[in-house]
Amino acid sequence: MQSGETPVKVWDAPVRVFHWLLVLLFAFQIFSANVKGDWMVWHMRSGYAILALVLFRILWGFAGSSSARFAGFLAGPSASLGFVKKLLTRAPAPYPSHNPLGGWMVLALLLALLFQVGTGLFANDDILIEGPLFNLVSKATSDQLTSWHYWNVNLLLLLVAVHVIAVGYHAVVMKENLIGAMFTGVKHMPASAAGSMAARLASPWLALVLFAVAALAVFLVVKRIFI
Amino acid sequence: MRIKLLTAALAVAALGGASLEALAQAKPDVLVKQRQAAMTLQGKYLGPIGAMMKGAAPYNADIVARNATFLENLSRMPWDGFDPSTQGEKSKARADIYKEPAKFKAAYELLEAETAKLGAAARAMNEAGVRASFGGVAKACGSCHDAFREK
Repeated sequence: MQSGETPVKVWDAPVRVFHWLLVLLFAFQIFSANVKGDWMVWHMRSGYAILALVLFRILWGFAGSSSARFAGFLAGPSASLGFVKKLLTRAPAPYPSHNPLGGWMVLALLLALLFQVGTGLFANDDILIEGPLFNLVSKATSDQLTSWHYWNVNLLLLLVAVHVIAVGYHAVVMKENLIGAMFTGVKHMPASAAGSMAARLASPWLALVLFAVAALAVFLVVKRIFI
Repeated sequence: MRIKLLTAALAVAALGGASLEALAQAKPDVLVKQRQAAMTLQGKYLGPIGAMMKGAAPYNADIVARNATFLENLSRMPWDGFDPSTQGEKSKARADIYKEPAKFKAAYELLEAETAKLGAAARAMNEAGVRASFGGVAKACGSCHDAFREK
């Protein structure tokens, strides 16, 4: 921390737990999809967990802490463009949530993950493995969704790479430790601005309830209850 | 006139040659259809055994014996359909099949060997043997798809 900076709590525990669980599960998905075989059972279970996490994060984006809300971090085109201009001068101020580009990346990642899990539910490998909703669609439709499931991995890996590179840029060029903040929840803000920047944190109990709702929804879908 | 005659003569010669070819070999689109049919039927007879292996269906030794025998035969059928003449046809077959024929042959011979093991165990009503050899069949399918089939 440089002088004149003050620690501000920006990331609540649910966001941090969500983020790092997602990292672990995503890595496991890449691994299990490549070794296949008996690992595919766990690939599917891990996919359900990712779906529950993403659904939770979307709910949390509407009902969670101020720093977790989409309305707070999805900037309009002019604000996003303004951020890019400031970025080129290498002196944008730290944001109490995602910066404008980071915010759009969060949305892109969530949507790409939703697409990935959604297509996976209907996928088949033409041998023995079928997603839990395979029987709801024709084989041709399942094959199409399976193709998209394969190709969307490339988009996800690209988004993850850009995300990691951007965080690295923040660390190396802008001397802003975003990775540490995602562990501790604390960002170091200029003292002048810090007071107005503290996130209004929502109750972790609300997060637990919302996660339970998301997990129940996934359970009902996977077990094909009501569908 | 002379040119017309010459053209006709050439055409007859070409047709003669072509018809000999046609007798020797099915049309590329037919070959693709046939090999896909053999693949589809492998799926048909593998699926029920797979369900039994996962515990999703009760083990039925008679069905396993019948299906495994069908599989053993079907696993020998698709490969001569992967003729270079079919490369222009729409299918999920990758060009690597024709670039690395030895590797392709090794991949399908592995499946043939694994389905033979499965078939022998199934006809002997040897459930433990079926369970032991089933994974090898599924793996042989998957590794060949990974290497030679478009996603």
